[in-house]
Amino acid sequence: MSEDEDLSEEIVREQAMIVVEGLRKSIRNGARTVEILRGLDFSVPRGEFVAIMGASGSGKSTLLGLLAGLDTPSAGDVRLNGTAISYLPEDRLAQVRGQTVGFVFQSYQLIPTLTALENVLLVHELNAEGDGKPRARQLLTSVGLGDRMDHYPVQLSGGEQQRVALARAFVMRPPIVLADEPTGNLDTTNGALVLKLLLELNRMEGTTLLLVTHDATLAECANRRIVLRDGLIISDEMNEDRQTPAGTAAGV
Amino acid sequence: MANGLAWGTAAKIAAREMRHSRGKFLFVVLSVAIGVAALTGVRGFSASFRATLLDRARSIMAADLAAKSIQQTTPEEMKGLEGIRASGVEMTTVTEMMSMAAPPQSMMPLLVSLKAVDPALYPFYGEISLAPAMSLKTALGPGSVAVGDDLLLRTGLHVGDDVRVGGKLFRIAATVVDEPDRLSGNFEAGPRVLISREALDATGLLAPGNHATERVLFKLPPPTDGRPVSDAAVAALKTKIAALLPEAQVTDYRETNPSLTEGLDRATSLLSLMSLVALVLGAVGVAMAMRAHLQQRLDTIAIMKSLGARSGQIMKIYLLQTLLLGLAGGLLGVLLGVAVQLAFPMVLGKLINVPTELHLQWRAIFTGLGAGILTTLLFTLPPLLDIRGIRPSLILRRDTESDFGDDGGLSLARRVLGRLPWVALALIVTVVSVVVVRRHWPGHSLELLLEGICLFAAAGFGPAIWSWVRRKPVQAGSFLLIIAGIALIATTLSDSAEVGRVFSVGLVIVLLVLLAASAAVLWGLKFFLNRTRLHLPSALRHGLANLYRPGNPSAALLAALGMGVMQIMLVFLVQRAVVNELHITSAPNLPNVFLVDIANSEIDGIQRVLKAQPGVTTQPELVPMVGARVEAIDGVTAAEARERADAKREQAQGPERNERRRRRMPRSVNLTWAESVPVGTKVVSGEWWKAGERGPELAISQQEADWLGVKLGSTITFAVEDQQIAATVVALTKDDGRHLFGRAQFTLPKAALDGLPVVWSGGVHVTPERVGELQRALYAAYPTVTVINVAQAMETVRAVVIQITYVIQFLAAFSIFAGVVILASSIAGTKYRRIREVVVLKTLGATRGRIAAIFSIEFAVLGLVAGVVGIGFANLITRTILHQMNVAYQAQLLLNFSALAGVAALTVATGWMASYRILEQKPLEVLREE
Repeated sequence: MSEDEDLSEEIVREQAMIVVEGLRKSIRNGARTVEILRGLDFSVPRGEFVAIMGASGSGKSTLLGLLAGLDTPSAGDVRLNGTAISYLPEDRLAQVRGQTVGFVFQSYQLIPTLTALENVLLVHELNAEGDGKPRARQLLTSVGLGDRMDHYPVQLSGGEQQRVALARAFVMRPPIVLADEPTGNLDTTNGALVLKLLLELNRMEGTTLLLVTHDATLAECANRRIVLRDGLIISDEMNEDRQTPAGTAAGV
Repeated sequence: MANGLAWGTAAKIAAREMRHSRGKFLFVVLSVAIGVAALTGVRGFSASFRATLLDRARSIMAADLAAKSIQQTTPEEMKGLEGIRASGVEMTTVTEMMSMAAPPQSMMPLLVSLKAVDPALYPFYGEISLAPAMSLKTALGPGSVAVGDDLLLRTGLHVGDDVRVGGKLFRIAATVVDEPDRLSGNFEAGPRVLISREALDATGLLAPGNHATERVLFKLPPPTDGRPVSDAAVAALKTKIAALLPEAQVTDYRETNPSLTEGLDRATSLLSLMSLVALVLGAVGVAMAMRAHLQQRLDTIAIMKSLGARSGQIMKIYLLQTLLLGLAGGLLGVLLGVAVQLAFPMVLGKLINVPTELHLQWRAIFTGLGAGILTTLLFTLPPLLDIRGIRPSLILRRDTESDFGDDGGLSLARRVLGRLPWVALALIVTVVSVVVVRRHWPGHSLELLLEGICLFAAAGFGPAIWSWVRRKPVQAGSFLLIIAGIALIATTLSDSAEVGRVFSVGLVIVLLVLLAASAAVLWGLKFFLNRTRLHLPSALRHGLANLYRPGNPSAALLAALGMGVMQIMLVFLVQRAVVNELHITSAPNLPNVFLVDIANSEIDGIQRVLKAQPGVTTQPELVPMVGARVEAIDGVTAAEARERADAKREQAQGPERNERRRRRMPRSVNLTWAESVPVGTKVVSGEWWKAGERGPELAISQQEADWLGVKLGSTITFAVEDQQIAATVVALTKDDGRHLFGRAQFTLPKAALDGLPVVWSGGVHVTPERVGELQRALYAAYPTVTVINVAQAMETVRAVVIQITYVIQFLAAFSIFAGVVILASSIAGTKYRRIREVVVLKTLGATRGRIAAIFSIEFAVLGLVAGVVGIGFANLITRTILHQMNVAYQAQLLLNFSALAGVAALTVATGWMASYRILEQKPLEVLREE
């Protein structure tokens, strides 16, 4: 590798939205220590849509958790938008999470005692000042829930709950959105609808999107695919057909 | 930068969660409410009742304060008294003296007890009743007096006749039926003659050197806010007067009849602390419920954290929730407490004829409310602080380690058992110190007990606790805060920092020991089940194994249950003993008519008269009295011995307390004889002599011995007329203050006092209505013997004491009820933990019957273990408390075993009631609800 190439890679890393270096995670299971991630290195430039794939137990969800700062790595580092987050104190980390990352979970994870609108607003209240209502209403309308804002999660179908979660993920205009099997609990129709909305919001807001999935067809929509096995990256390739976020949304 | 979660939003989330978990929070609110209700009810009611009692006490004295002296006030003292009058305090002087009265033509005067008052002011409290009914001002003119009906009986005079007092004739305007301060005045022989002070001056009886007693009565101005005169104001005035009149004996209304106020005060402070235990129990219930609640909310908390919420913001929500629960419980508790206060006089209206005033005790209400909120907050601090340990990655992976766990105290037990050598050392040190202390400083059993417990705790838990403190300093801080909070509340409740300190430290020790005992029992159970290959039925095995399963808060629940059982039993045992004691105090057959000045030759005749009287219900107590002086103690002159005893006491107790005792040193004393221990007297140390003893041996009351500074083996030399008797102290005694023998301070064998001049006193119980009959019969046979009738006064005291026992029993019953409810709710609180377990068992094919059997066994064992530990502790603490109160303690096996069975049955029943609905539910329903 030439010096020029080294330098350009360095510049890419500097400008990247997500940088992962030597990332390891092991957990204690009784007397045994299980290595879930065994040294990952990659970076994701601003605006890219990356699909992370792998079999059960390959370390996908753990990786996502570490990227979102939900957990602390055993070794290595994660930088989000230039900030090294891995060893920040808990409260500072919460702040970074709130302002930098939007999260969409497989099982929606809405707060059962809050209405759809309040669920979306909560993130704003936790992380920003001023009135977040117009933005929250606009987002809920854009995911087709304009008339169900005052419903509690139990009064909504799975697809609707996931759409509330989408609105919630984007309400702070985070530069990064992480999605963990967002369509995993949904039927095909609802799954397609949620994915379409996710990609549309991603395009409109210009966010960097990381999506964990089992589903190869879903991964087809991404610009780039990273495949994990036993805690290691076994393939990291660009999807030549899907080079722009605009194209991806149209593809669904 | 964000300003964080708004209080409004936090409140909204808190309120919504509370609405979603109504059932669970009902238990929490109920726990706090019952604790607060116990506190408010007990304090409020006993404060009202006490106020009513003290009103009575004021009328027994006829004033707020009285200063009694045998000397006329000096001009300087008068000036000081005028200063006090100028500050708004009313005062009047009552002069009492022995004198002679006779019909105008008779040459046979009669010894009378003369009492001169200012009819315009006397009495400040209570009423004097005259027959025919008239005001005191009308009866006591410059030329008229009121007399006791025994004077009319003895002299044959009638109302309207003249009587000569001193050198002057007075018209008898009325007879005295009742005077309020009869019990606090001089207890002197002779019929009463009530006279105005001006009239007394006119008789010329008040010549210098005359033995008149002056009692100055004081009445404090009522505070402008309409409340009764405070105890503090009375105490302040008392100090002032005591300084002004050093020779006088100053007493206040609270001292007029200590058996009344003391009984209630003891009961109130005990029950206040008991209800504090009830409140603490409630708070432990709240803490357990809150922990369970937060465990269920782990997901929500993790979601919020993943959305950027900081721990502080989440704690805000649950802090608000706690505050709301504490407030709701507190308000409900105050309402309940007030209802109890209002309902009580109505329910027991027939038993209590003291009209309790129905004014609400705001202080009691605010104390209750404040204590409720504060304890709830303090006790939920540890689970609230645990929120910081919850990791947001929980939403991705369930198996992440979380600090939000509980291993049921097993690891602690294991660590303790690993330190057996240290525990053994603590045991040896304790045994050695017990032996040493017992031998050299008897009577320090409480300190020894505490020392032993502290040593054990330090040896067993010390290192484990220290490493925990280092790992979780904030948690440790919160525990310190809890202890400080409890101390603060206990101090406020008992108005004594000492009590607050002892209570909080005691609570911590009891809790630690309970936790340790519970953990040890669970560990033993596990050890036993694992090691022995018993073929137990599977339900029994599961039920027992359930107790030490990881995550089962058995140790905490056991400690809470044990505490509850302890509190209930403690209240029950102490109230029984105190009520028993009060019943003895107010026994119906105590002497209520006293005979004074009986000559030796009259004794047999008097006995015959008494025996013949139908109104006499008891064997008369007849006590010989020989007047004597203390000449020397252990060869040192009496004056010098007194100085030494004073100096020694002053060193031990400070000059202030000693001041009062110094004046009470006896100048002349009464000796008596008895061949065996007299009724109502107990030998505290030493041994009573055998009948027929001839040597000068001496029994002396413990109190007297302390004052004189004598002990067993000391020699006291008495002077009787021209003889000297040197007697050796062989027994220290304590009398119950209810019998006549207590009035003679020194008792010797009969032979030692043979041939000395003797005057007898007698006491007998007479049916109050027939006292007149007895008086007439005695007067006819023995006109020189004086009969003092306190039957009416004693009946009043007895009635009030009996009412106090009802009050104590009621308050104790309420405290016990509160304890039971709180315990039931803490058991029921475990319901939410069981849901998942039931679902799993059902899914695996367990029948409802089988699950019920498993639960029953688990609950029965919980109940039995908690019962054994709680009842054991209750007996131990009752014994200590009663010892401090000088009340006898008797262990009652049957009672304790019934209580144990009751606890086990109640635990199973409550557990059943709480689990019944879960058993009926379909697994999927529950899962969906979760």
